[in-house]
Amino acid sequence: MNPLLTPELGTYVWSLVIFMTVLFVLRKYAWNPLLDFLEEREKDIAESLKMAESAKTDLEQIKDESEKILNEAKKEGKAIVGDSKQRAEESAAKILNDAKAKSNEFLDDAKSKIEIEKTRAIKEIKEEVVDLSLELATKVLQRNVKDDDNSKFIKSSLEAVKADEAKS
Amino acid sequence: MFIGEKVGKEWTMDQAPQYAIDHVANSKKNIFEFEFLNSLSEKISSFFGLTSDSIFYIDLGITKHVFLLFFVSTIVVSTLVTLIQAYISHKKNIPNKFMSIVEMFVIYLRDDVLKNFIGAKEYRDWASLIYTIFFFVLFGNILGLIPIFDLTGLIGKLGYQADMLNKDNVLYLLSKGGHTVTANVNVTFAIATITFFAFIGAGIQKYGFTQHWKNLAPSGLPWPLYFVVVPIEFMGLFIRPLALTLRLAGNMMGGHIALVIFITFIFSATAELGGFAGFGIAPFSISLALGLTMLELLVAVIQAYVFALLTAVFIGMAIHVDH
Repeated sequence: MNPLLTPELGTYVWSLVIFMTVLFVLRKYAWNPLLDFLEEREKDIAESLKMAESAKTDLEQIKDESEKILNEAKKEGKAIVGDSKQRAEESAAKILNDAKAKSNEFLDDAKSKIEIEKTRAIKEIKEEVVDLSLELATKVLQRNVKDDDNSKFIKSSLEAVKADEAKS
Repeated sequence: MFIGEKVGKEWTMDQAPQYAIDHVANSKKNIFEFEFLNSLSEKISSFFGLTSDSIFYIDLGITKHVFLLFFVSTIVVSTLVTLIQAYISHKKNIPNKFMSIVEMFVIYLRDDVLKNFIGAKEYRDWASLIYTIFFFVLFGNILGLIPIFDLTGLIGKLGYQADMLNKDNVLYLLSKGGHTVTANVNVTFAIATITFFAFIGAGIQKYGFTQHWKNLAPSGLPWPLYFVVVPIEFMGLFIRPLALTLRLAGNMMGGHIALVIFITFIFSATAELGGFAGFGIAPFSISLALGLTMLELLVAVIQAYVFALLTAVFIGMAIHVDH
């Protein structure tokens, strides 16, 4: 008989016994624990995915909300800035106008005061000049009035002073 | 029988087929002798009325293939239990390199075979059987491709020349006979027997004893047809495990015989045409053997998968009668 097809019942019995033992041992220590583990892991993964999905939608919602809030805040800020700018401009213009008016007032005041002082000073100077001339004239006259020319000159000077005085 | 043993001895081309068959078949002698196994064999055999010259004599002696069955099962159990227990107790959910290969097969078989053919609800009852068949057959096939026992023969020949002349030396005995357990029809028939009882058990578990046997033939046929259908279906029950047996054993045998024949080209060329022809043909026959070994690796995985798949299909057929 061909040795490749000889029935060897001993080998057959051993195969059955060994295979059943391997099956029993692996079932208890390998396959059942592994399948439980894999199932648990798959459940975990599915749950995590679900959680991630809900977290994503939550995040999107929050993002939308925050964008809305941000937009509102921007608008409000813009309004506030615009308002205060206008007010500041107004008050600045007002302050400027006031200042201008006041400075004009000062200027006018100062001008008139200067004018008054000026005329007074001129007047005083003239009086002084008259006094000085008179003194000078008296001194000259006291010494001698000999010459006609001199007297003529004094006369004309006095007239000039008088005319000057009359002018002012 | 380790390759190269015949070199230097008388070799003729017509020895090649017998040499190749001896390289696949079980050893003729026991590797380890245990007195209690011999007496147990005798007791069991005499219980069935068998004498030691009957070909059905139940000899429980540790032949090479029985030794290899222990070897393969030890490797399967230790590898898988260590890997899976380490993976589960780690709690980190990250498998290491070997574990990810195991997990790939486990998840693939679960999603594409178990859930598909047996059903998402019932698959847990039969998952262990399918996985054990797959990995047991896979390891048996792959270990058959690794020539460890050819090496023991070589070591014996080189290192223990004197001992090798003693035919009871363990290294010598280990080098005799094939080392692919799954190429032995008795081994594959044993696994197919388990498949046979599994698919009958699955049907009985689901429908009860009588209804399961009634499911054998579809109901509602005209009564004369049952005389044809019932015998065919009944024969089908036994043909299924037989087909499983011969498919796996035949595939593994065929690959190994072809492998050995390719190598014997070198001996034959040397014997018939001289040493130079042997050297000339060596690259050719070695590259053929290398290519065939690659193909055998693929076949090892495919046949393990087919055995597991068909077991799942048969169990599914018993559970889902309507298809």
